[in-house]
Amino acid sequence: MTRRALFIWSALPLLLVVLCVHLFSGISLASLPGSMDAVLRFEAQSYEQAVLLFQRMPRALIAAYVGSVTAASGFVLQSLARNPLASPSTMGVNAGAALFLVAGALIFDIGVVFQGVAALVGAVIGFLSCVAVSRIAGRQNDPRGLSLILSGALVSMLFTGITNALLLSDPARRSDFLNWVTGNINHAYIDRLELFWWIGVLSLCTFVVLARPLTLILFGSEKAASAGVNVPLVSRLAFFAAVLGAGSAVAVCGPIGFVGLIVPHIVRPIMGSNLVVAIPACMITGTIVCLLADLFAREALQPFVLNTGLVMDLLGGVVFVIIVKRFYLSPKVRGANV
Amino acid sequence: MLETRNVCAAYGPLEVLKDVSVQFQEGRLTAVVGPNGCGKSSLLKAIMGFLPVSAGEILLQGKSVPSIGRRKLARKIAYLPQDCFCPDYMTLGELIELAGFSRYSLVGGPTERDRQLFKDVLHTVGLADRADFPVNKLSGGQRQRAWIAMVLAQDTNVILLDEPVNHLDMKYQFAILELVKELTVNRGKTVIAVLHDLNLTTAFADEVVLLRAGSCVTSGPVGETVTAQNIEQVFDFRTQIFPHDGRLVCLPELSASTAVS
Repeated sequence: MTRRALFIWSALPLLLVVLCVHLFSGISLASLPGSMDAVLRFEAQSYEQAVLLFQRMPRALIAAYVGSVTAASGFVLQSLARNPLASPSTMGVNAGAALFLVAGALIFDIGVVFQGVAALVGAVIGFLSCVAVSRIAGRQNDPRGLSLILSGALVSMLFTGITNALLLSDPARRSDFLNWVTGNINHAYIDRLELFWWIGVLSLCTFVVLARPLTLILFGSEKAASAGVNVPLVSRLAFFAAVLGAGSAVAVCGPIGFVGLIVPHIVRPIMGSNLVVAIPACMITGTIVCLLADLFAREALQPFVLNTGLVMDLLGGVVFVIIVKRFYLSPKVRGANV
Repeated sequence: MLETRNVCAAYGPLEVLKDVSVQFQEGRLTAVVGPNGCGKSSLLKAIMGFLPVSAGEILLQGKSVPSIGRRKLARKIAYLPQDCFCPDYMTLGELIELAGFSRYSLVGGPTERDRQLFKDVLHTVGLADRADFPVNKLSGGQRQRAWIAMVLAQDTNVILLDEPVNHLDMKYQFAILELVKELTVNRGKTVIAVLHDLNLTTAFADEVVLLRAGSCVTSGPVGETVTAQNIEQVFDFRTQIFPHDGRLVCLPELSASTAVS
């Protein structure tokens, strides 16, 4: 409970501090009042103000969107699949969205709006393929949803392979998409955010409304149904919202892997499994993690700017190992924890 | 009153309930007893609608149970499955709060009345000081009381308990059943519990339903139903049944080869 109280009291101030550092690092203190003015009036009178207004603000907004929506979707997917490795990146969602967007752009030459639609369709198809493969593999006898994760890995590999083949086949235009395909928080993508933000907002609203029934489903479908939950309807709605929300995040800035995987694991030990509190916590933590990753990508190796997706993959890879060790390789340790 | 009329149900080709007709008396503790795999849990699942009924009716106050929506049914009947597991890190307070889900509006939470009920419930099960404690860190007996609390927080008149005293030692078995019995006596709840132990049954239950291979052999008040003859018919097992201190005691007879001379 003390950890929980600490989180509740420190999360928002921490978010504010990270946001300020993200926005204002490198901008001299003397020009801060003027910079604030620029932010409020959407007018830039100097180079610094232009950087703030047209680079850092868009990046911060994209980071907040991607972080909150992907992390909350990841938490919901982990709850529904009852597997700690579930997330948009491990269940075919990200790879499906990437494949459809790239295929649409390179083969059918579609514009930004339809690229977004293609990404959403791809997210749904990627997820459904993952479910279909796991059904074939016999998901019925798999209480912990492991086959779902393995099928997700399989589908992701296949889709990523096709995406790469498509990119390789078009040397002239592939460089346009290389940045996007590895997942990058970039101010250039702000027009995509402007188009798709409402999808993520709808998903988040769905999660908030379904938070209690989703938490009850964690107790098993019979216990949930006996408490008054329409289990099939709630599960389907939540899966749909999670997949579309994560898909819209991919449509904006490419597959930022692992936010949806690691943030739930940061949040759960602190806030618990109850989605009523965990969803808002995931949104704040996801935003902080994405802002930090972007800050790191931008500042760590100056004058070179890293790709945010790469930073998240590095971070996620390490956490992935820890999760596998903790949840799968040492059942005794886990038993002692619960 | 809850009632099943000629209920039949099957898991695929396997018939688990055959023509079961039972009336569960209001405000009484009814024990459902029978050998392993005789359909005790299936009977509760059929009532809850988790096991599709192929023939017959299940009625609650004269109304067909399957026609009552999930949310509405959750305000009338609470159910505790056999093996409950709680998600990690969930506190007892959160567990209780979730139980009231069927009474909350779409985005609303518990009302003042609900909160008072939750307090009472925790007090009733003797865990009033444990509200902020993770359920998975409670002891076995406490955890079972936590599940009972979750069922009570649903605030229903009818409560179905599937083997509520499994995996508990003797002291906790009695403590839990005393608590359950108290609910019927002091609060007029109708409780239907699947039990394994005949001595616990005779000590706490008012009524007994004896099942064998999916059929109801007999049902009625404990004194009339728990007889050596009925028990032998249901369990294929000889017992001596005799009154002691105002209740019936079942003493299994040892087979000749194991009996100590």
